[in-house]
Amino acid sequence: MTSPAFDLPAASDGRDPFFDTAARIAAQIATPSGEAARRASYLRLDGDVLTAVAEYDETGAAFRGRYELPLFPNFERAVATAEIQVVDLSNLGNLTPVGAGVATRHQVRSCALVPVLSGERVVGVIAISARDDAGFSESEVQQLATLAQLVGLRVGHVASDRALREEAERSQGLERLKGEFLNIAAHELRSPLGIINGYVSMLLDGTLTGADQRTALERIAEKSDEMGRLITEMLETARMEALGLELTLAPTDLLDVLDAAIHTIEPLLGHHYSLATRGRRDPLPVMADRPRTQTMLLNLLDNAVKFSPGGGDVVVAWTRRAGVCHISVTDHGVGISREQQSMLFTRFGRLVTPETSHIRGTGLGLYIAREIARRHGGDITVRSEIGRGSTFTITMPLAPGALLAQTPEGVGTVTRSVARRT
Amino acid sequence: MSDTANAWGDFLTLEDDVKVLLIEDDAAAAEMYRLRLVADGYAVVVADDGEKGLAMAEAERPDFIYLDLRLPRIDGFEVLERLRADPETASIPVIILSNFGEPELRERGLKLGALEFLVKADTTPSRLSETVNRVTAPKALPSV
Repeated sequence: MTSPAFDLPAASDGRDPFFDTAARIAAQIATPSGEAARRASYLRLDGDVLTAVAEYDETGAAFRGRYELPLFPNFERAVATAEIQVVDLSNLGNLTPVGAGVATRHQVRSCALVPVLSGERVVGVIAISARDDAGFSESEVQQLATLAQLVGLRVGHVASDRALREEAERSQGLERLKGEFLNIAAHELRSPLGIINGYVSMLLDGTLTGADQRTALERIAEKSDEMGRLITEMLETARMEALGLELTLAPTDLLDVLDAAIHTIEPLLGHHYSLATRGRRDPLPVMADRPRTQTMLLNLLDNAVKFSPGGGDVVVAWTRRAGVCHISVTDHGVGISREQQSMLFTRFGRLVTPETSHIRGTGLGLYIAREIARRHGGDITVRSEIGRGSTFTITMPLAPGALLAQTPEGVGTVTRSVARRT
Repeated sequence: MSDTANAWGDFLTLEDDVKVLLIEDDAAAAEMYRLRLVADGYAVVVADDGEKGLAMAEAERPDFIYLDLRLPRIDGFEVLERLRADPETASIPVIILSNFGEPELRERGLKLGALEFLVKADTTPSRLSETVNRVTAPKALPSV
């Protein structure tokens, strides 16, 4: 066997040098003495496509190619049967036009295609092409088969390594989340609970009389609502982290969901808030998970109210542009500084400033809302100025066909201003 | 330490209404504690962050301070340190009233000179009055 001069460049683009070495060894194995070194490649299989991820050619020629299986029946057969194919290319009439083109261009006379298996599955092919007519001997084919087994083990090892690493990262993430939840339980849940307990004890021991009793009951109701919301957010986040957010998509009119969200929040608005809506009453057809998108909209509306303790107008506006709908919620509250905007959407990224420290919450609301938007192919962005207020804008891709059965209801701009009572 | 005990002695000779400063950022909690303490005959002033707490300790000269730990601007530990460092306020008895009850926090609070460390969830409003009463009654003077 000839011993070509090997000076392969080290893989520099994040490729696995294992495959470069395997290709070099394959070329070495497959080159009969007295012949010019043959070329060898390792092609990774993804679905119907083989992609050369490593190759060795003494001449330095490279044809990092992609082979679509239906166009190369020989490759297709190797992959389908998991058996080694030795192909005579001297008669181009047996090839597809594409295959014949490649063989002619590279002056290939014969080739060996050795499938690589990881477990039962074909994950790639080692391909050796010869420009000579010496063919492939039984022992060469045997050795190539052994090499293919080693490559298969490596592929399996890398995959399970990656799976393990991902699993470890995921469980670390869950571990962190658990810590954060314990922290919330310690503070955010205990503080309303402490107030409930305190008022109950004063109701029981007769400290409170008359109007104070009524106030105490109102406080208790408020605080138990607050605890309920915190728990819902925690569960929602835990589910999202553990299972991913699984959406049940259906044709949905986002405007309809928005109406429902506004309807839910309206009774909770104090008398010093007013809520106005601006936009054409045309449907906003999207493919969406209705309950999730309602949660997303409610979280933004809830925040707008929560972070404008002084009251004022909350404006909900929507438009559609270039296949995307935009829904914005604007408040005239405390606002958010530029530095703080970056941490706004992170888990537990609740902003504690002297103006907002008394506002309780897990800091999960915006995180959840943005996750929901993103998993619908959309996003949420913010524009804000300290002391002036904030505008949160949801973008969601429209699905024009989704609501074909529906016809636009009223067309025109409707502005609705509703003052609320407590 | 003996200075502190003497100072308490001085303050215990006063016959006026006992004035309690609540340093507490949770308005609902502050309101609730205030209701109870007022019902039990104490004068109550409330500060909703650490800075205001220090200013009020100086200006109002309370007889007793309930101090939350997680506070905007200056946290409870720093408030306590600064109260202790200032001769004007060093002798005011301080009890920490926190949502957190971890042993390290408790230890740190007591080391900094808090008289007691109460966890809100385990503390009824009436316990606040009882504690003020116990500390301000002569027999409760700690033997140092």
